[in-house]
Amino acid sequence: MRMRIARSREGGKVTHYDLYKIDLKKGMTVLDALFQIQDRMDPSLSFRYSCRGAVCGSCSMLINKEPRLACRTQVAKIREENMRLKAFPAIVETPSGWNPDKEILVEPLPNMIILKDLVVDMSKFYDALESMRLWVDPEMNEEAFLQSPEDRKRIERYVNCILCAICYGSCPVNAENEEYIGPAALAKAWRFHEDTRIRNHTRYVETARVASGAPMCELIMNCVKACPKGVAPGGAIRMIKQNE
Amino acid sequence: MMLHKHDVLIIGAGLAGLRVAIELAEIYDTAILSKVHPLRSHSVAAQGGINASLGEDDSWEQHAFDTVKGSDYLADQDVVEILAKEAPRAVIENERWGTAFSRTDDGRIAQRPFGGAGYPRTCYAADRTGHNLLHTTFEQALRVGVKFYNEWFATSLVRDGNHVCGLTALEIASGDVYGFVGKAVVIATGGFGRVYSHSTNAVINTGDGCALALRVGAPLKDMEFVQFHPTTLFGSSILISEAARGEGGYLINARGERFMSKYAPKKMELAPRDIVARAIRTEIDEGRGSEDQYVHLDLRHLGKEKILERLPGIREISIDFAGVDPIHEPVPITPAQHYSMGGVHCDKHGMTPISGLYAVGEAACMSVHGANRLGGNSLLETLVFGRIVGQQIAENLRNAAEPSSERVDDEAFRIRQKLQELLLKERGESPSEIREVLGETMDRLVGIFRKESDLKAALSMIHHLKERFPNVSVGHVDRRFNYSLIRVLELENMLDLAEVITMGALKRRESRGAHWRLDYPERDDQKFLKHSLFTRIEDYVKTELIDVNLGMFEVKERTY
Repeated sequence: MRMRIARSREGGKVTHYDLYKIDLKKGMTVLDALFQIQDRMDPSLSFRYSCRGAVCGSCSMLINKEPRLACRTQVAKIREENMRLKAFPAIVETPSGWNPDKEILVEPLPNMIILKDLVVDMSKFYDALESMRLWVDPEMNEEAFLQSPEDRKRIERYVNCILCAICYGSCPVNAENEEYIGPAALAKAWRFHEDTRIRNHTRYVETARVASGAPMCELIMNCVKACPKGVAPGGAIRMIKQNE
Repeated sequence: MMLHKHDVLIIGAGLAGLRVAIELAEIYDTAILSKVHPLRSHSVAAQGGINASLGEDDSWEQHAFDTVKGSDYLADQDVVEILAKEAPRAVIENERWGTAFSRTDDGRIAQRPFGGAGYPRTCYAADRTGHNLLHTTFEQALRVGVKFYNEWFATSLVRDGNHVCGLTALEIASGDVYGFVGKAVVIATGGFGRVYSHSTNAVINTGDGCALALRVGAPLKDMEFVQFHPTTLFGSSILISEAARGEGGYLINARGERFMSKYAPKKMELAPRDIVARAIRTEIDEGRGSEDQYVHLDLRHLGKEKILERLPGIREISIDFAGVDPIHEPVPITPAQHYSMGGVHCDKHGMTPISGLYAVGEAACMSVHGANRLGGNSLLETLVFGRIVGQQIAENLRNAAEPSSERVDDEAFRIRQKLQELLLKERGESPSEIREVLGETMDRLVGIFRKESDLKAALSMIHHLKERFPNVSVGHVDRRFNYSLIRVLELENMLDLAEVITMGALKRRESRGAHWRLDYPERDDQKFLKHSLFTRIEDYVKTELIDVNLGMFEVKERTY
């Protein structure tokens, strides 16, 4: 098995692709393969990682033109996968020489500035958490809130978000509009709005309805198809739009 | 070069570090340095839950008793008392901050049974409790305005006499080393599971803070006590939560037997982790494992609905990483390294013997877990003691002396030079080879069952690897995002910690909790109802034994 990896030493844009021959092991993930390359073939390769168990959200990247967690993507099965995303340039344009039958193509997550190789600048993605104040303004008390299992279920899907930014990297609107807040932050705003324990819950949807927020979403739903955790941000954004 | 200055410098942005920061950020200039973005910290991977005696028939005393018994009586009982008493408060605080705990039908925080506990007191958010707590706690840290240095790797602590006055750190994005001056430095870097090649831990869990502390003369404690989690996914060693057994899962050997009846007839699968891990290892070693390598965790009888509601995360993990759906098939599991009971020696307020240096969470050893931690107590430790350590620092800072910028500046200069030399070595030893040999050595010789000849062989191998390390070549000279360099620095830290773990295991000629010596299979309270302490003095590590704080619970034989 071979891996064709986008390289960018100085950041900004992909300057070339390097081809590596992987010693394929049973159950090997794309992240395992990247470590094999870094350890044995090319110590200059940069990529983010942490948990290797699909819970921390570090290793989001474009694999065979689809945004995925490298740790959750099996090398042996990748060719069978198809998210059926709506096309935009970053997930369509393929480098010359790529042979999809023999090579796995690994590139940085789209819609973010490349810093080095597979490492992208996520600061805009993270900044939304602060600018939208996506936290609870706590009212402390000696007792916990009561919340019925049904009410908890309304937010479960959204609290499962690991903020891996795969939705952001899969979104054609994010690809075209730098200012768009993106699906994850909007879904998180909806998570707080829907939480029956929160008193001032309208502030979250108000911040989601600014011009750079939900109104920009065209309900393309790539985020729903690409999300590795079943969060379905597009559904939340639809609700934010509807309840206006 | 410029120096950064803050009142408080916290290394590590997992739950413990964040909770310290939240306590301090509104009164002192508080900064956290983390080698990854805070949400990528390993707290995120904790699954099963967090203990608190919320139930009407439960009490803090029972929680404390279970913890002390689980620790094989090595935990300091005054520290355990704080943990158990403060537990409900810590859970309620996080719930008020927004954590989406799972609920009972009448809307209260749901609790499940966990290993070694006499009462179902483990609160949970499905099987993604750490994920929920970490995201919530991070949100609150943003709210109170903690200053974050994300993707900064701490390279050393700076000591001025008997006082820590700051640290140095490498900005991963630029490759530049900066000095940080601070009145208080907090080690909150988590565990060091990656010393072993089979570990549930994130790849980043290399114990950096513990190694840095050791290097400036802060003692480490109880390092030989390494928890092996009974149920990790065969192949990848990814954690399969104790919640799976808490919800009623069975452990089955290759003959189809529920073998725990032989090892813990009363508690069965819910015996503490050390006991279950040894049972599984024994089954495999005696030829009753599947393919001689693993046993099965069978959840099928729980039914689809319960699995989907309570254990969705481990179902996903089983499908993604082993191709097995627990609704239809048993999950192949094997024990692997999971938790570090040992860590930086400190008191119940996180204070180390060096003034200005604090430790908290898994990186610390207060000691609240003794020789074996109970499931559900580690998330709890981070939140309870994060707050307490924060309060203690606030108190101490009122009279803190102005730290020496000069010392920090000098140290930053020294580290820059060290990294330059490391980067310029064009040819040399392969760091990944040393890392692999280290992990394999620890797995094979310093694992669940230990004996003198193995431990001596491990120690000499570690010494050999340490001799090779100075010749290591990073192989890549770019400064920006040089992760190969980071991994070399992590390896340096792990080699120091592996040595201390193995020394401790060799010196402790008894079996207690997670530390099992085949050649000394009995617990020896006469000699070893003691904490072990490791202090680096110039080139060697001094070891000594210090007293355990006993208290309300009498030391007894431990059966389940």
